[in-house]
Amino acid sequence: MRKRLTGPAAGMAAPVFSLICILACSSGARAQTAPPQAAAKSQTAPTDLSGVWRRSRRPPDNAKRYTLGDVVNYLTHVEPTMTAWGEAKFKANKPNLGPRAVPLAESNDPVISCFPPSVPRLYTQRLGAPFEIMQIPGRVMMFFEFDHFVRAIYTDGRQHPKDLNPTWMGDSIGKWEGSTLIVDTVGFNDKSWLDSLGHPHSDALHLTERIRRTSHDAMTDDITIDDPKAYTKPWTAHIVFELKPDWNIAEYVCEDFLNFKDLQAISESKK
Amino acid sequence: MNLKTLIIFMYGAALLGISVPVFGHHGAASYDPKLTTQKGTVTDFKFINPHSEIYFDVTDAAGNAQKWIAEAVSVASMSRDGWTKNTLKPGDRVTIIGNCAKNGSHTTRLSKIVLADGKSFTIERGEDYADQ
Repeated sequence: MRKRLTGPAAGMAAPVFSLICILACSSGARAQTAPPQAAAKSQTAPTDLSGVWRRSRRPPDNAKRYTLGDVVNYLTHVEPTMTAWGEAKFKANKPNLGPRAVPLAESNDPVISCFPPSVPRLYTQRLGAPFEIMQIPGRVMMFFEFDHFVRAIYTDGRQHPKDLNPTWMGDSIGKWEGSTLIVDTVGFNDKSWLDSLGHPHSDALHLTERIRRTSHDAMTDDITIDDPKAYTKPWTAHIVFELKPDWNIAEYVCEDFLNFKDLQAISESKK
Repeated sequence: MNLKTLIIFMYGAALLGISVPVFGHHGAASYDPKLTTQKGTVTDFKFINPHSEIYFDVTDAAGNAQKWIAEAVSVASMSRDGWTKNTLKPGDRVTIIGNCAKNGSHTTRLSKIVLADGKSFTIERGEDYADQ
């Protein structure tokens, strides 16, 4: 079950309360607790990444005139080369967004049924809705506005558990390299899409992120997709986040969209 | 009533010319890319997710009130632009600028709204150019 904080108070909840809830309900992938000495190994974070962030609206280049959707829905504008398996999955994925969009009633996008977007797609959901980073000893927490998904990145020196059971969000560990946070995530199931356009991934996905705060108001994330089952070689998306210092994480409950699913089908119907 | 029956009922109602609420969501493909400007009177405002809805009447040449619905964006997005649930009230005269549904269903994707006092709001949408 995904872990959610609901209600208007969630956005204003004292950080301590939120974090206690988050820690108590932490990712289901991690059945065991960290060994006692891991707490002592917690790296002091050399950089403060905390705050409310969302994808920058600035176009990636001057190659063409980008729409807002082009900027924030895509991980990359260079189409990665897929394996035969990847191509088949890509064709089978029918998005409701982008150049391959189909009407809602025909879309098999798992997010329409309120399954987790997972990462990196969560960075792009709802036109790049914000997320909040909270740093506490041994963890960097990401709290997403989209359906209040929570991601725990363990920075206490632990390794990925052996025999990891696949999950929607994967298992994330992080370490600091200078002022860059390197996040390593494995253990994904193959049910989510990489993005809203339907790019696939398999359960072999090994996601590496290099997150760096480049200025007070900007943060970059170089996201490497290493998935030999789906892509012929690893590829990297470079995305930029902007700080929203005056924002709180609001509520966006995915199931509210289900009220409109029938109605959108009507607008897309041919007379 | 199950989903299939509901869709058949509403599709049938639409064919009969009964105004039914219809909403585009992710896709702007069902909407005319050209903007249309309409002057109308608010009859209802729903400040909700995933898309807020503005119900408004537009008086046609014959003097009849045509019922329309403007679809906006999420509560969070609009709140951050200064909207509250009280921004619009029944009876408010507004100018609605949006992309009308191609299938004639009296629905429009809101781009901008101008209130009677001159205050305006622009809606942030994926189909708009990022440099606007």
